[in-house]
Amino acid sequence: MAIELSPEQTADVRKHATTEPAVVRIALIIMVTVFLILFLLFPLIIIFTQAFSKGWQVYLAAISDPDALSAIKLTLIVAAIAVPLNAVFGIAAAWCITKFRFKGKSIFITLIDLPFAVSPVIAGLVFVLLFGGQGVFGEWLFENDIKIIFAVPGIILATMFITFPFVARELIPIMQAQGSSEEEASMLLGASGWKTFIHVTLPNIKWGLLYGIILCNARAIGEFGAVSVVSGHIRGLTNTMPLHIEILYNEYQFTASFAVASLMSVAAIFTLVLKNFFEWKMDKGMGEKA
Amino acid sequence: MIRLTDISKRFGNYQALKGIDLDIPSGELVALLGPSGSGKTSLLRIIAGLEGADEGSIRFDADEGNELEKNVGFVFQHYALFKHMTVFENVAYGLKVKKRKDRLPKKVIREKVLELLKLVRLEGFADRYPSQLSGGQRQRVALARTLAVEPKILLLDEPFGALDAKVRKELRRWLRRLHDEVAVTTIFVTHDQEEALDVADRIVILNDGKIIQEGSPDEVYHHPNSPFVYNFLGDVNLFKGRLEKGKLHQGVCEWEINGDIVSQSETAVGFVRPHDISISRDHALKDSVPAWITYIQAFGKSVRIELKRQDSEEYLEAELSREQFTELRLQIKELVFVKPNQLHVFTPDDYVI
Amino acid sequence: MTLAKPARPSRSLPGFGLTLGFSLFYLSLLVLLPLSMVFLKTAGLSWEEFLGVVTDKRVVASYKLSFGTAFLAAVINLVFGILIAWVFTRYRFPFRRLLDGLIDLPFALPTAVAGIALTTLYAEQGWIGQWIPFKIVYTPIGITMALVFVGLPFVVRMVQPILQGLERELEEASYMMGATRLQTFQHIIFPEIVPAALTGFALTFARALGEYGSVVFIAGNMPMKTEITPLIIMTKLEQYDYAGATAIAVVMLVISFILLLCINGLQWWASRKTEEN
Repeated sequence: MAIELSPEQTADVRKHATTEPAVVRIALIIMVTVFLILFLLFPLIIIFTQAFSKGWQVYLAAISDPDALSAIKLTLIVAAIAVPLNAVFGIAAAWCITKFRFKGKSIFITLIDLPFAVSPVIAGLVFVLLFGGQGVFGEWLFENDIKIIFAVPGIILATMFITFPFVARELIPIMQAQGSSEEEASMLLGASGWKTFIHVTLPNIKWGLLYGIILCNARAIGEFGAVSVVSGHIRGLTNTMPLHIEILYNEYQFTASFAVASLMSVAAIFTLVLKNFFEWKMDKGMGEKA
Repeated sequence: MIRLTDISKRFGNYQALKGIDLDIPSGELVALLGPSGSGKTSLLRIIAGLEGADEGSIRFDADEGNELEKNVGFVFQHYALFKHMTVFENVAYGLKVKKRKDRLPKKVIREKVLELLKLVRLEGFADRYPSQLSGGQRQRVALARTLAVEPKILLLDEPFGALDAKVRKELRRWLRRLHDEVAVTTIFVTHDQEEALDVADRIVILNDGKIIQEGSPDEVYHHPNSPFVYNFLGDVNLFKGRLEKGKLHQGVCEWEINGDIVSQSETAVGFVRPHDISISRDHALKDSVPAWITYIQAFGKSVRIELKRQDSEEYLEAELSREQFTELRLQIKELVFVKPNQLHVFTPDDYVI
Repeated sequence: MTLAKPARPSRSLPGFGLTLGFSLFYLSLLVLLPLSMVFLKTAGLSWEEFLGVVTDKRVVASYKLSFGTAFLAAVINLVFGILIAWVFTRYRFPFRRLLDGLIDLPFALPTAVAGIALTTLYAEQGWIGQWIPFKIVYTPIGITMALVFVGLPFVVRMVQPILQGLERELEEASYMMGATRLQTFQHIIFPEIVPAALTGFALTFARALGEYGSVVFIAGNMPMKTEITPLIIMTKLEQYDYAGATAIAVVMLVISFILLLCINGLQWWASRKTEEN
């Protein structure tokens, strides 16, 4: 007796090796797609349908309201201060962690991650404890007429705390993978440390840096819990966009609330597009180096 | 016996195999030999059932084909050992995943695995992880693991490709002995002609998705059927000329040729291996050409001599025994006379293959 | 010439003192000093006072809710995260790229925006809510939904690269030895992704425990029923009960630190595993 395998049969046999039966495949794809549509796509769509549910005019009125405009302005100011500072910290931390060996390095890395594990509400709380009326520096600040809590500086500090790890987190693995041979070569050729950083390191980490910055920025403009604690919710003065959305929502101005939310969603989509672009650039860079 | 009939395989626009017909008798040790891109690995994967052929059929004799998947063992080029399992667990894997009714008792599995480890000379390594082994040891674990399921057909993809030269030689002798002991039909893929000639009962030479020649090592080495096989199986010197009355003519020289395929042809090429070339200082026989010695490599058992022909400035390579070399006392830059002893001639028709 | 040790490569580049000094200073000022305030402030409480605050009935109910919902959300994300990573790396289907790009939406979308969107969606008259026979909004189920959204990308993004880097040959080898597809997944693929999946799980859990923005809208914030721990802290702050807020914060921080240690341990385990290849 002999067994003969035709092309169809041999193809059949092969399918079992590294893939699943078509039924399983299709079932899994449908499950995942439905899950993602329900959890990601629907929320995104409903924001825009709610925002435009009463037409363009209401939408435009909501986002050009003076309070909305001042919230947008404040959000941008906060991000413009917090993001660059955290980016500089990220670069400095990644440089000393990946280019040098020193004791306590792993503790240092863990500490950088700390804000990721702290609830935003607690992040706000700690600054109240420092600078609030009953806080450690409260009296001194009061005497010198400096306001941090329930004012813009507190919002900036809380945002910086929350977005603290983003850039460092992205850069450390990238710079670790690249090693320091290129920098050493540049130094041996006589370039200064600063020149080496600008001409050798920066071009190598540029896409990873932008990737970290864009995520840091997304979190900075969207932070709610920490900012909510320190802001004091003073309309037109200490309300960021997320806080403004909350106030409108709690006042049952749903359309206006979703209108501001839609602006932030556009920013989020823009962030996703950029993020994918930077990722693609990084992959390409890696491919060229390999 | 395995019978492949008219197997073709295409990957996108790339035709990997073109109508392969091949019979592999039971118990043989067969080498699929060819340069990279010749389709040899695709062919092996089709026999294994890891790829499906687009056309053609594979026929297994009953004793080899029952429950096909379980009766074919495959050793991967990079071993594909399971990193998170010990050597023991790797070897036992095929026995443990059997259906409950076919599964051996734990104790029997244990005995069997230890026996296999003994066979591949890794008795003391059962509790090691693959990362703690050398390349050669990993290769032997991969073999033991494959043999555990008692395959009727053993397939190996470039089994020694990733090892260094010394371990390679050792392992291929050992594979030969193992094959004689376990007596399973074994097919291995290689691009190394020396390996194929050294180990296999039969060699199948592939190029560009087709079988060029098959036969015993002796047959393919001494009677290559095409310029490709001649080239692929070792170093070679070329003498271009024309065929007339069964002799190869080039300038004033003419040579008798081995085998008489065609007797007339405007263009023909004579192939001769370096060890079939003799060197002398005697001038002007009609069958030798003058050449300068350009390089002498005098270590090892034989001496390799590189020469440059005086007439055409083409380079030739000769291999002399140490005795011949010391007798002749050849010097670099010396003018000598070179004579091909064995000339295989191919005409343009042969290049079509 | 003296017998000098070969220069350590780590010393040949400049900027060590500057960058380490600056980043330590920045870390201490922005993170360590403020966080230490929580412990300092709590030290002002007597042990009885502290226990009284953190074991208050309402607070304990919030722990249960926060832990229960965060754990459930992390489990859901673990299962679906592995599934999503698998489907994205192994199968080709329409809109795969688009969905893959959308995975990170929860990282990019402000939590408050997510909160109001989910609440509207799952409300009794909402697009999805109207089809579901039980109440979601203002129940622990709703809280869990919001936490699933917030933590969705973690497991996917941890597991995806591992699956991409997995050698196909391992699965082929398993198949050639007679394993079924399920056995191959169980014995070969699953052990490879476990460390990454667990790290993702711990990250999701930590994030979900502390989450505030997306939850407050959907939770309804009824004491004893749908009041999460971060919200209690918030409420106490609004009542200027700083000591009470801080005491609860200490409990949460300690738990977060333990989780962080677990995550670090898991990552160390995962990197050790990959270094072996």
